[in-house]
Amino acid sequence: MLVEVTGGHVVFSTRKGVFRSGQVYALNGVELTIRRGETVALVGESGSGKTTLGRLTLRLVEPSQGKVFFDGKEITHASESELRPFRQRAQIVFQDPFSSLNPYMSVRELIEEPLIIDGEGSSQERRSRVDAALEAVDLLPASRFAAKYPNQMSGGQRQRVGIARALVRDPDYIVTDEPVSMIDASSRIEILALLDRLQRERRMAFLFITHDIATARYFADRIAVMYAGTIVEEAPAGAVIDTPMHPYTQALIAAVPEPDPANRFKRRPVVPGEPGSADGRVVGCPFYNRCPHRMTGVCDTITPPLAEWESGHRTACHLYDSRYATLEPQSGSPLVRTDLQYSPMNGR
Amino acid sequence: MTLLAIRDLYLHYRSGDRVVHAVDGVSLTIENKGEAVGIVGESGSGKTSMATALMRMLPRNVARFDGSILLDGQELTILSDDDFRRQIRWKKIAMVFQGSMSILNPVLRIGFQVAEPLLAGGEVSKREALQRAESLLERVGLPAGIAQRYPHELSGGQKQRVVIATALIMNPDLLILDEPTSALDVSVQAQIMNLLKDLKEDPGISMIFITHDIGLASDLCDHIAVAYAGQHAEFGSAERVLLDPHHPYTNLLLRSLPRLHETEPPQAMPGQPPDLTRPPAGCRFHPRCPWAFEVCFSEAPPEYPMADGGHARCFLNDAAVSGDRFQAHLRHWAESRV
Ligand SMILES: Nc1ncnc2c1ncn2[C@@H]1O[C@H](COP(=O)(O)OP(=O)(O)OP(=O)(O)O)[C@@H](O)[C@H]1O
Ligand SMILES: Nc1ncnc2c1ncn2[C@@H]1O[C@H](COP(=O)(O)OP(=O)(O)OP(=O)(O)O)[C@@H](O)[C@H]1O
Ligand code: SF4
Ligand SMILES: [Mg+2]
Ligand SMILES: [Mg+2]
Repeated sequence: MLVEVTGGHVVFSTRKGVFRSGQVYALNGVELTIRRGETVALVGESGSGKTTLGRLTLRLVEPSQGKVFFDGKEITHASESELRPFRQRAQIVFQDPFSSLNPYMSVRELIEEPLIIDGEGSSQERRSRVDAALEAVDLLPASRFAAKYPNQMSGGQRQRVGIARALVRDPDYIVTDEPVSMIDASSRIEILALLDRLQRERRMAFLFITHDIATARYFADRIAVMYAGTIVEEAPAGAVIDTPMHPYTQALIAAVPEPDPANRFKRRPVVPGEPGSADGRVVGCPFYNRCPHRMTGVCDTITPPLAEWESGHRTACHLYDSRYATLEPQSGSPLVRTDLQYSPMNGR
Repeated sequence: MTLLAIRDLYLHYRSGDRVVHAVDGVSLTIENKGEAVGIVGESGSGKTSMATALMRMLPRNVARFDGSILLDGQELTILSDDDFRRQIRWKKIAMVFQGSMSILNPVLRIGFQVAEPLLAGGEVSKREALQRAESLLERVGLPAGIAQRYPHELSGGQKQRVVIATALIMNPDLLILDEPTSALDVSVQAQIMNLLKDLKEDPGISMIFITHDIGLASDLCDHIAVAYAGQHAEFGSAERVLLDPHHPYTNLLLRSLPRLHETEPPQAMPGQPPDLTRPPAGCRFHPRCPWAFEVCFSEAPPEYPMADGGHARCFLNDAAVSGDRFQAHLRHWAESRV
């Protein structure tokens, strides 16, 4: 196992107003493993903890509970100096092409910077490594792109620079964090195809954070679905999309609009209510208050563990637990209810 | 009566010593009340520019603005700026701007922001304006009491509902929505789309829905225009454009979409969008078109009419010019239907 998080909790302290301070429970007991050369996609709504989990695997945040391993070595509370060799092997790529690059640095300076920080090679060696990284991301001719500044490039080219900056250290593990963005679907596909190729060439492991579950299918081996700081489902990519088990995943998939002229005559089934909150500790299932199938007495008191109900397909939901099979869920199948949708009358 | 008829609309900008052909001969019709037209296309294809032309909210560097815009039979382009502001903007045509969620005023209560256009008009009392704002906020599905809150207390989806309510306060006939859900999660997006479906039915608002996601357009729109390089490469009923596209760009756009239940990866669109200061000669799409043939390089295709009342700007639709290529491409299109 290259990357492993067990029982990971992350709590942030925030200031709410002048005298009150609050706690944000960003991760609540997360289990995640990534093998060498594997791509895992992390999907889920905004604020569900995807970025925090990505940062936890990179030990850019420290867990309040739980453990973090990299390549078999525990790094849960390792100090910055202990983390040094690890920092070179694990990288993050921010996919927001407009805010993540220093506008005053040339492409060469941007990509060379990590090597200078690491104290790597002579300036001659660094030069050729920067060129090689630019070539790897198809920014050709490398010498011409190396002289440019971020504002002289398109969004897609800036993203490639971000990737080259991570690649130059020749890492084993990369986290890519894609914001809910306006980037055209087709330019995103291009970047993903590039990452896919690099991964096969170099056998890197990827944690691919995205809002686009449909794209995740093609570029990930497994998909993990997050809700309110926990992973609620995790399985091979095709299985998550074709046979989703968790009610939240089912709702997530039902909400994806595929081009079909019949769509406009149907209302889309949606989960009522507002996104999951990280303001307090949740007793029971974090999805309880929005779940169309909740079983009162169980779901609101017992936290469902992420369990493997089917081979290779894990989900955190009591509906699949035979102990509760006699209980009547709030609704029968189909699992995604179409009657619980937004209506101007019930004003959700 | 036809609600909106745009004919040969042009909007060019000056950019240094060059001219950006952002809207370059666009025609579009909305026949009925409660009808939605989608405008889909890549970044920079001129979608927002067409909308700002309809709202007449133009930047200073406009180099050319002409054409005909008929709203309910009234020619808008001959109105003075004052008359346009008094009679049309917000009252007949309203718009939800790209990224407008983030421009809600942080220090104003929600109710007041929604009522603001009414208050500015000065025709109703403050009390009445706020009352109308509150009922609209309820109409767009927000909980009671939200009028007293501030923007930072709202989720992204709630803010977008507020922005929609603000656009509706003057009872417009036509609502333009520019990427209204692109900063939202899919589940929240689905809630907003359901709201727009409701508003289409009751009170029967007509809509122009701008998006780069053709799948999302199919969730609302009766007609779809495919924007390319300042023009509409194709226009027609949602059924026809999605199931039987007659322009290669539409076809490639559909194939570049990831599909939930398909194992074949989507295909990236070939090439780069054109520079609108120098739109390509001939067919604007020819540098990227896998099916381009001789005439495409030198002549601009006209809008070939389609049986559904729409059009496609591609020579393949002209058997006299394209010969047997026509049949081959139709077959190809048929095979890649959604
Ligand atoms: N440094 C921080 N201080 C305080 N709270 C934080 C911090 N970072 C994240 N949070 C909170 O933790 C929760 C999880 O945030 P995170 O950024 O991991 O979510 P996300 O799934 O990446 O969301 P998005 O899709 O919007 O990027 C949120 O409630 C967020 O506000
Ligand atoms: N005020 C302006 N001055 C000069 N050029 C402009 C101006 N506004 C837009 N443009 C240019 O006009 C073209 C069309 O832009 P527009 O914003 O209409 O595209 P769009 O289809 O809405 O793109 P997006 O999907 O990115 O929102 C682009 O090349 C853009 O750079
Ligand atoms: S555990 Fe209960 S509340 Fe949670 S998702 Fe499953 S059925 Fe719904
Ligand atoms: Mg994030
Ligand atoms: Mg735009």
